Amino acid sequence: MQDTTPKDIGSLSFGLMEPEEYREMSATKIITADTYDDDGFPIDMGLMDPRLGVIDPGLECKTCGKHSGSCNGHFGHIELAAPVIHVGFTKLIRRLLRGTCRECSKLLLTEDERDEFRDQLDESRKLSRDLNDVTKAAIRQARKKDRCPFCGEIQYDIDHEKPTTYYEVQQVLTSEYSQSIAGAMQGDEEEGVERTTPDELAEQTEIELTRVNEILSGSFRPRESQRKAIEKALDIDLTEEDTNKLMPSDIRDWFENIPDEDIEVLGINPDRSRPEWMILTVLPVPPVTARPSITLDNGQRSEDDLTHKLVDIIRINQRFMENREAGAPQLIIEDLWELLQYHVTTFMDNEISGTPPARHRSGRPLKTLSQRLKGKEGRFRGSLSGKRVNFSARTVISPDPTLSLNEVGVPDRVAKEMTQTMNVTERNVEDARRFVSNGPEGHPGANYVRRPDGRRLKVTEKNCEQLAEKVEAGWEVNRHLIDGDIVIFNRQPSLHRMSIMAHEVVVMPYKTFRLNTVVCPPYNADFDGDEMNMHALQNEEARAEARVLMRVQEQMLSPRFGENIIGAIQDHISGMYLLTHDNPRFNETQALDLLRATRIDELPEPSGIDDEGTPFWTGYDVFSELLPDDLDLEFTGTIGDEVVIEDGQLLQGTIAEDEVGEFGGEIVDTITKVYGNTRARIFVNEVSTLAMRAIMHFGFSIGIDDETIPGEAQSRIDETIADANDRVEELIEAYENNELESLPGRTIDETLEMKIMQTLSRARDNAGNIADEHFQDDNPAVVMANSGARGSMLNLTQMAGAVGQQAVRGERINRGYEDRTLSHYEPNDLSAEAHGFVENSYTSGLTPREFFFHAMGGREGLVDTAVRTSKSGYLQRRLINALSELETQYDGTVRDTSDTIVQFEFGEDGTSPVKVSSDEDNDIDVEHIADRVLDSEFESAEERQEFLGSKPRPTNLSEHADDRLAEGTEVTSDD
Amino acid sequence: MVDVSQHELVPEHTVLEEEALEDVLEEYNIDRTDLPKIKRNDPALPDEAEIGDVIKIVRDSRTTDQSIVYRLVVE
Ligand SMILES: [Mg+2]
Ligand SMILES: [Zn+2]
Ligand SMILES: [Zn+2]
Repeated sequence: MQDTTPKDIGSLSFGLMEPEEYREMSATKIITADTYDDDGFPIDMGLMDPRLGVIDPGLECKTCGKHSGSCNGHFGHIELAAPVIHVGFTKLIRRLLRGTCRECSKLLLTEDERDEFRDQLDESRKLSRDLNDVTKAAIRQARKKDRCPFCGEIQYDIDHEKPTTYYEVQQVLTSEYSQSIAGAMQGDEEEGVERTTPDELAEQTEIELTRVNEILSGSFRPRESQRKAIEKALDIDLTEEDTNKLMPSDIRDWFENIPDEDIEVLGINPDRSRPEWMILTVLPVPPVTARPSITLDNGQRSEDDLTHKLVDIIRINQRFMENREAGAPQLIIEDLWELLQYHVTTFMDNEISGTPPARHRSGRPLKTLSQRLKGKEGRFRGSLSGKRVNFSARTVISPDPTLSLNEVGVPDRVAKEMTQTMNVTERNVEDARRFVSNGPEGHPGANYVRRPDGRRLKVTEKNCEQLAEKVEAGWEVNRHLIDGDIVIFNRQPSLHRMSIMAHEVVVMPYKTFRLNTVVCPPYNADFDGDEMNMHALQNEEARAEARVLMRVQEQMLSPRFGENIIGAIQDHISGMYLLTHDNPRFNETQALDLLRATRIDELPEPSGIDDEGTPFWTGYDVFSELLPDDLDLEFTGTIGDEVVIEDGQLLQGTIAEDEVGEFGGEIVDTITKVYGNTRARIFVNEVSTLAMRAIMHFGFSIGIDDETIPGEAQSRIDETIADANDRVEELIEAYENNELESLPGRTIDETLEMKIMQTLSRARDNAGNIADEHFQDDNPAVVMANSGARGSMLNLTQMAGAVGQQAVRGERINRGYEDRTLSHYEPNDLSAEAHGFVENSYTSGLTPREFFFHAMGGREGLVDTAVRTSKSGYLQRRLINALSELETQYDGTVRDTSDTIVQFEFGEDGTSPVKVSSDEDNDIDVEHIADRVLDSEFESAEERQEFLGSKPRPTNLSEHADDRLAEGTEVTSDD
Repeated sequence: MVDVSQHELVPEHTVLEEEALEDVLEEYNIDRTDLPKIKRNDPALPDEAEIGDVIKIVRDSRTTDQSIVYRLVVE
């Protein structure tokens, strides 16, 4: 066996590879573009040379002797006929060309400048800043030099034509210099420029007269200094641009002479990388394992895109060599050189702008090296960060109010596929045998066993009975998921930590995952087809961590706002409202029925005796049974009344959203913080079941009649709206007569718009109020709106009264045709109707025009949410990527991976929002804490001990433990 | 010119003495370059602060009364 112990990575260094290194690591030189011969054997020194590794099973690698699967493959190499530029380094090459001398290759900086930049670089490195800022500044400085400070050579500008062509731009004397000079000496009478005689010119430029005449006749080319003097004297430009293409071989020669000290200043380590290695002379050929060929059904071989590209490179390389040896003209050589450059470029990156991508015969662009790595489906994001895992399941979710919020209903077919490894001991050997004897098809069964000798056996319907008898301590059994197992449950998008929580399994028939509706808020799940993922944990540590840290009840409080995110929702809230709003009475049977799904199986003393002499229990008393016995609480509730709880008895107030709801229901929040997560879980479970019983007791349904109002009310609404229309007409008239006075800071037009909007929104409110008067308090829609279960009074008045003004971008609807919204209206009609005021209600129905305006307003809402979610999603992705490496250390500091401190104390205060009690007025609930401290002063030492928190809360890691603990010791509360 | 360091919302910035700095660096087991940075031209800095100095910033905190942060003055 080979040494398989994991090793620590000490350090990684990145640099360029030397051509010699490519040759050294190469298993073979590749000289022929052919892959297989007629018999189907790979050709020696071809692209499929057996020394490059094996992909066919059974064959042996000619380099390392291993078989396919264990041989990773070996690189080969191609000797390029001429050097080519590596596309990955074009920017760096350009920088070096611009910053070094064309003659002596030294960096165009004086020694002082160079040292200064080197110091800056060291400092940046120490402060882990971006080194590019310094190196860019160095190049910028070097480019300013016209002449080399060392050899005095004139420097030219470098032009870069993407992707891989470089030119030197020289300013040279134009070929028409004599004509230009003569023309300028003529002068221009119109512009008042005087004639210049050759004598004058000679005087001004200090050139001898004979030379001037020679220059004028074109028989002498003026030197640079002379040219400049003439240019100055005659105020003309005698130069033209001349571009000189730099061939890769020129660049390579240039770079070879750059001294090591100089490239250090540019942030390159000369021990590891020499700039000339950016110009390739040898091309490494990836092993066949990196570009396996596939055999199609018809027996034909289909080669990988990389192989196709390599074939192209070799063909051109050969043609290049043949042509050069045959002494072909320079033009042909240059064309072939460019072609070779193109193939090598697209071999590395086939998505370069300005370069046509290399295509397959079918016209599909080839997927070359960089395409394998880049993007969402690339090696990094697709294969390395995005892993697919075993022991996971995905299916549709549906609700099951009988489950605890900690549980998840798992379809039996999923339970039979996901397994947990059971280490067989003397104590569980009976169970293990039972699982194995049930086989892979029976429910709690087993799929595999592992004998102590390490051999893994599949449990089948046939062998399960025999296998069961053989199972002994020391075996491992992969048994099916059973009730009480812990699994991880997730719904995408996983935007906060409550998107992934641990649940206990309850195996169930049918095909969906079942969950209690109170966990919908943390997952943001509903049941309109949502799917969720489940992961079965595969080792004891993972299971323990999931139980202690990730179970739903441990996530009761949200770290976002420090209050409970799990609580009663929707019908639970309506149910609690019905149960407690008018504090109704129940007889014994009814009261017991309400509490049937809770732990309460004995009723307290009746609340009273009614006139007929039968005892009754009130809604308050029934609800109070769920509260911890010593809970004291007083706050303003959902409907604005005072909620008072004393000694675990609800004395006053209605229980609704702000009391037991998700997102900060006061009672749930307090119980979680004071009595612990286990008590809170029991409370939420029981509230939801009690509420379901209550809502079923009273009956709760809604129909179209609940949103209609009597004809008398309807005519009043019509009146208000007619009134409003009249007032709008008046406003328009005033506006047209220029009688309207503008509001401060507004134009007349804006003032009119504002006043119309005001008038109409008041009309809608009035219509709503009229409708409101006719709704009874027991109207189901009103109950839902008041209790906070669903909907608002606005929704209701839109259904019964009037829908109101439709708006796009916060204004009345103004778009559509020229000067009007629809062709149904006169141009410049400013009336309410013509700009999207919907005077009908949803119940009475919208006119076609109203419907159209309503759709416009509605569309804006849809587009807004779509844009918002995608924008915020991307923003969050970037934030998470930026923050992902930050970690809180054991000393409380937050540091990044290079140990730089980001925060000296987590969150600058070292506190978790979840652990800080708070209410809206005070950041810290000092009063409450003080009360409790005082209380503990008066009571026995034991109780004070309890207050100080030394009395441990009951351990409760599984709901399956509840039954055991329920007898005798209490699990439920610390009272 | 407004002196922002006098504004009530700007916390107190003081240059940390060399000895106290040693203690801080030891407590967190870091070099001074591992500290968060502050630019020399930051208007909240005291005038005597120089590049390479370490500044102690004391903020009021709702939860812990005071929160102390150190920063290295750069460039
Ligand atoms: Mg959905
Ligand atoms: Zn091999
Ligand atoms: Zn030079």
